[in-house]
Amino acid sequence: MATSRKVTLLSSDGESFEVEQSVAVESITIKDSIEEGSAGNPIPVPKVNSKILAKVIEYCKKHVESAKAEDRVDDEDLVAWDADFVKVDQATLFDLIRAANFLNIKSLLDLTCQTVADMIKGKTPEEKRKTFTIRNDFTPEEEEEVRRENQWAFE
Amino acid sequence: MAASKEEEELKGSGKRLKCSVTGRYRAVVAEEDVRPCEEAEEGVAAGEDGEDDGDDGGDEQLGEEEEEEEDSELPMKPGLFFYPLTPTSFVVSDALEPDFPIIYVNTVFESFTGYRADEVLGRNCRFLQYRDPRAQRRHPLVDPVVVSEIRRCLEQGLEFQGELLNFRKDGTPLVNRLKLAPIHDDDGIVTHVIGIQIFSEAKIDMNCISYPVFKETYNNECEQMSVYTPKDGPLPFVQDQEMCGILQLSDEVLAHNILSRLTPRDVASIGSVCRRIRHLTKNEHLRKMVCQNAWGRDVTGALERMTEKLGWGRLARELTTLEAVCWRKLTVGGAVEPSRCNFSACAAGNRLVLFGGEGVNMQPMDDTFVLNLDAANPEWRRVSVESSPPGRWGHTLSCINGSWLVVFGGCGRQGLLNDVFVLDLDAKQPTWTEVLGGTPPLPRSWHSSCTVEGSKLVVSGGCTDAGVLLSDTYLLDLTTDKPVWKEIPTSWAPPSRLGHSLSVYGRTKLLMFGGLAKSGHLRLRSGEAYTIDLDDEEPQWRLLECSALTGIGGQSAAVPPPRLDHVAVSMPCGRILIFGGSIAGLHSPSQVFLLDPSEEKPSWRILNAPGQPPKYAWGHSTCVVGGTRVLVLGGHTGEEWILNELHELCLASWQDMDAASDE
Repeated sequence: MATSRKVTLLSSDGESFEVEQSVAVESITIKDSIEEGSAGNPIPVPKVNSKILAKVIEYCKKHVESAKAEDRVDDEDLVAWDADFVKVDQATLFDLIRAANFLNIKSLLDLTCQTVADMIKGKTPEEKRKTFTIRNDFTPEEEEEVRRENQWAFE
Repeated sequence: MAASKEEEELKGSGKRLKCSVTGRYRAVVAEEDVRPCEEAEEGVAAGEDGEDDGDDGGDEQLGEEEEEEEDSELPMKPGLFFYPLTPTSFVVSDALEPDFPIIYVNTVFESFTGYRADEVLGRNCRFLQYRDPRAQRRHPLVDPVVVSEIRRCLEQGLEFQGELLNFRKDGTPLVNRLKLAPIHDDDGIVTHVIGIQIFSEAKIDMNCISYPVFKETYNNECEQMSVYTPKDGPLPFVQDQEMCGILQLSDEVLAHNILSRLTPRDVASIGSVCRRIRHLTKNEHLRKMVCQNAWGRDVTGALERMTEKLGWGRLARELTTLEAVCWRKLTVGGAVEPSRCNFSACAAGNRLVLFGGEGVNMQPMDDTFVLNLDAANPEWRRVSVESSPPGRWGHTLSCINGSWLVVFGGCGRQGLLNDVFVLDLDAKQPTWTEVLGGTPPLPRSWHSSCTVEGSKLVVSGGCTDAGVLLSDTYLLDLTTDKPVWKEIPTSWAPPSRLGHSLSVYGRTKLLMFGGLAKSGHLRLRSGEAYTIDLDDEEPQWRLLECSALTGIGGQSAAVPPPRLDHVAVSMPCGRILIFGGSIAGLHSPSQVFLLDPSEEKPSWRILNAPGQPPKYAWGHSTCVVGGTRVLVLGGHTGEEWILNELHELCLASWQDMDAASDE
């Protein structure tokens, strides 16, 4: 397998990123399009802007490097690195989720979604609304129904 | 028989396989079917006619002719698998090129999948998991666990067998019963992988699958950026929509990747937040995923039956709140004779199994009994085994991998034991087989055991020779070819004891409770709880500091009084139930206590279960059947050891009590 091949990714806002092919194919979407020969050069990545694409590439680079590393001690470091990686504002976090989903990067999708799940855990509905700025759009009747249905969840 | 003779011939001959018809089966992968892709078309024409002819002699002739004139393109080891005589689709992939590109597909494959050979050669087979040619990733209904398993087998050069959801080119769903076999060259390097597919209709109506909400957004190629428009009710303010990042995610991502990771309680809680999320959380498929992630696949599989009546949402709720808990009495037929006490019992699926025990005159018994709760009229039956372990009492019986049983220790005719015997309950002729596990733990009785991760037996404490109490912890991994006992070294262990309970929660964590424990030079009933996580690099026992939850309405503190020989049950949601046992003082042994060891501040709660609890206090054995039924059997009433009247603590509601076994 050719390892030092480089590919160019083009973000939705026109910025180019040159990366090793081994890093780019962390994304199954990109991998498939390269293999099917439909990729073109540079490979356009619609829907993912340069800010997010840069972060995604950073993630993939780190993970590809870690996989190559000899010693397994890096596992813990990688977990810590991942934890830092997701310390971003919500908007960026959700953009990363969408990008990971579109680009089909399972580990990044798992990481970002677990982060959101952790933000949800344990809070009351009102706290959850506040955390994510969700508007309560129930009618009063629906609200009552919902309260009855889910009362058990709050003991 | 004809098939195996054929198989023997093929194996022994060392030649390449040929296509032949023997009885119902025939060898697949005939030489003429496998040619490099340049010649594929020809190969298809020549080979396929023969195959598709079915069971007339034409095949044989064709096969023989082909064998005479063919070249060996691909050396293969004979002795592959045999298949029933239905048109089988197959695919050959090149294992030496990256990502296993297809180099050959047969016409059966083409007709089943709707893809022509020229459309798929050079690609990896995964496109079958995409719902249509324009899809960008596999469809969410395709089981990712199976896909990982395929990847693992390919990486390790192993055979794979399993079932996977695939799609025709036109989007029709198919069930693909798939076998993948690596082909090695003379140096043992895998050069090709052969895939054999038996496609059948998938009984899914893609228009009415349980999450129509996903289908809508999946087909929408701009799903990521689409603003959610609910079908009913007013549109949310666009401004709010823009501010709220989480609601901008597609249904698929939101439900599949985020909501599914929450506990049932959190799902209900977030379902109270807004309409769209409520709608998503009511989806039965999501609820099942939540249960699977929260409780594990094994437990969820066992609970499947309950959900037919209750649905996953209601079941999750009932198992979380225990609002439907009640005691029930169950009378069964048959008899465990001669009568006995101090036996050991456990559940294997929906069967209860009992082994050994102490008969009259303290005689150790060695017989095995089964009670099948799936039967219309369950009754105890003796299991006829070729040989039994030596008779014993005070031993432990645990279930491994759903249908195997393992016995350890106990007191036999000649003293204390530390042997291990296993039994496959589903074997045609069940036989107890001894497992020699290297250096075994000290012989003992009244120890405690449990099964971790399906097949790891953990044993702790008990009483060894000269009445010495033990405080050790040992593990025997029965998945390995040669299981070896390993002591789990801990810098500190709970005081040595017997008659305590060991329960598993959170997959690899253990909770030890109660028992008769060493306290200075005395032995006292213990009410302490200890935990250990076997997944830790260096597992350590820790005392669990539990408080008593003072209930609403001034209920008194609910810490269970110290006891031994009690019952401890792990529930799907990681909580432990404790009741019964030999308790000092005037406390009622039938009071049920509940503990969630994984809470930040674990506290005991009293569980009020209506109905008639077991009267007897000690000498029980309990088994959990189907994930929600806790059966208490045996126990001394003062007169006799009762085994035909079981007491059941139902954890979730049963609509009808008919023990109707389904088809």
